[in-house]
Amino acid sequence: MPVPVLKQGGVLIASIQAALTDRDLLQLEADLAEKVGRFRARGVIIDVTALDVLDSFATRTLRGIAATARLRGATAVVVGIQPYVAMALVQLGLTLEGVATALDLEEGLELLRSSAAARGP
Amino acid sequence: MVEPLPRLPFRVTEFAPSDIERRLEFVNLKPEDHKRIGAVKAEVLDHLDEHVSAFFDHLAQFEEAWGIVGRRDLIEEAKRLKREHLVAMVAGDYGRQYMDQRFRLGQLYSRASLEVSIFMGGFHGLMASIGRRITNRFADDPLTGFEHFTSFKKIAFFDIAIIVDAMMADREQTIRQQQEAIRELSTPTLQMRDRLLILPIIGMLDTRRAKQLTDELLHAIRAHRAKVVVMDVTGVATVDSKVADHLIQTIDAAALMGATVIVTGISAAVAQSLVTLGVDLGRLTTLGDLQGGIEEAERILAVRHGRRSSDAA
Amino acid sequence: MNGTRVAVSREADIVTARQLGRELAAKAGFVGSDLTLIATAISEVARNIISYAKTGEILLSLATKDGRQGLWVIARDDGPGIPDIDAAMRDGFSTGRSLGLGLPGARRLMDEFEIVSELGKGTTVSLRKWLR
Repeated sequence: MPVPVLKQGGVLIASIQAALTDRDLLQLEADLAEKVGRFRARGVIIDVTALDVLDSFATRTLRGIAATARLRGATAVVVGIQPYVAMALVQLGLTLEGVATALDLEEGLELLRSSAAARGP
Repeated sequence: MVEPLPRLPFRVTEFAPSDIERRLEFVNLKPEDHKRIGAVKAEVLDHLDEHVSAFFDHLAQFEEAWGIVGRRDLIEEAKRLKREHLVAMVAGDYGRQYMDQRFRLGQLYSRASLEVSIFMGGFHGLMASIGRRITNRFADDPLTGFEHFTSFKKIAFFDIAIIVDAMMADREQTIRQQQEAIRELSTPTLQMRDRLLILPIIGMLDTRRAKQLTDELLHAIRAHRAKVVVMDVTGVATVDSKVADHLIQTIDAAALMGATVIVTGISAAVAQSLVTLGVDLGRLTTLGDLQGGIEEAERILAVRHGRRSSDAA
Repeated sequence: MNGTRVAVSREADIVTARQLGRELAAKAGFVGSDLTLIATAISEVARNIISYAKTGEILLSLATKDGRQGLWVIARDDGPGIPDIDAAMRDGFSTGRSLGLGLPGARRLMDEFEIVSELGKGTTVSLRKWLR
């Protein structure tokens, strides 16, 4: 099941549903890379609220999405990491280095706004 | 890896001199008992190793006793104390020092998680060993042998009472500490104001409690949409490596949820422990006291607000 | 072993295995973060099967030891085997330089971990987690 990607101003928002397969995630990576270019998006928000597990593959892919977005001039923010998932990630020793994180969609948008303001005109 | 022996704080025992006398009355110790005990000194002293082994070999049969039997350092210490005890038992001086000696052994047993029931089994093994020697000595006169053993047993039961009392007192203290920790656990995280959580940590911090803390904190961050957490550890006296790891993990997990954690109240002792454990203090945002932490937190939030309002303008 | 068997050959099976693992763990009495840790550990070892052996199976069952209840996970495959188990178990996760086998991570999440691997024969990973 492909992940729906919405456009809100200069921000792309991907809301991941539960039971996401590896293929879906890789598809999302490709999808976002294409869309960031096409819409000249400044920000990408990946909402993982519905995910009950973030394993090594998922975190690698999220890091990949952030790197690709950065290459195309956009900032990626992962939002909605659940408490138990956060605990498992740190215990597993997995890092989301290079990826900004925020509590939820609202905070994610705020983060993008403030980093854009910091970057200046 | 061998853990260091727990340091048993020498506690002022609650036994008053009158207690000692009363306890000796409870076992009905009389002058003739003193005489008889003196008469069978050799049966105890000449076979110390045999008697001590009887106690510990009996314990070694049960996995419930591995807390003491399985630990080289503990069992050596316990055997040493036991030898001293047997010597003192037939020495005839049953005063303050005698009491303290047994109290300390009882504490050691309790810290090694030895239950009273198993201790009793071991002690009986010890008595059987001594009883055999005394009985052999009076093989021609069993009744006299029995009288001598009975006198000796009075002191033995006096001993048991002290040791068991010590084990129970130690157990009660542990339970009190645990109840204290549980009470503190149910202290809810305080929400001071919008997006700021203050988490005071008080008392014993073990890995179990640290894990529960992480759980509560992360759920509180989500529930209150907190952006900054001020974690005050003024009330924490010491931190071991596992707990330090947990604290770092808590801070990292909070960051994944978009929250910054400011740690305040780190004492010199805790700072020293953290440095010794290799924790990179630079990774922690630490400030002196709680007040300082709150001010810093408000600063962070105000900056956010400022940007927001200029956005709206 | 009273329990469940999940054949693993497609990456969709990874999700199936970890969801069933979560359910069984809940039945055993695990709650909260432990459920996520267990699901994540299963995800890692299931993923290994797909990546390196192509096919295999995950066996899930309840376990008891010394009066404690727990969950037992066995990840088995007939793949090529791991040539250097020590290297595979070396923790390169945080630097991203691990062999990507997810084994050190899985070990960290569970209480007991055993691995047996023979070149040309396959690999078996056994994981157990106990209720406190």
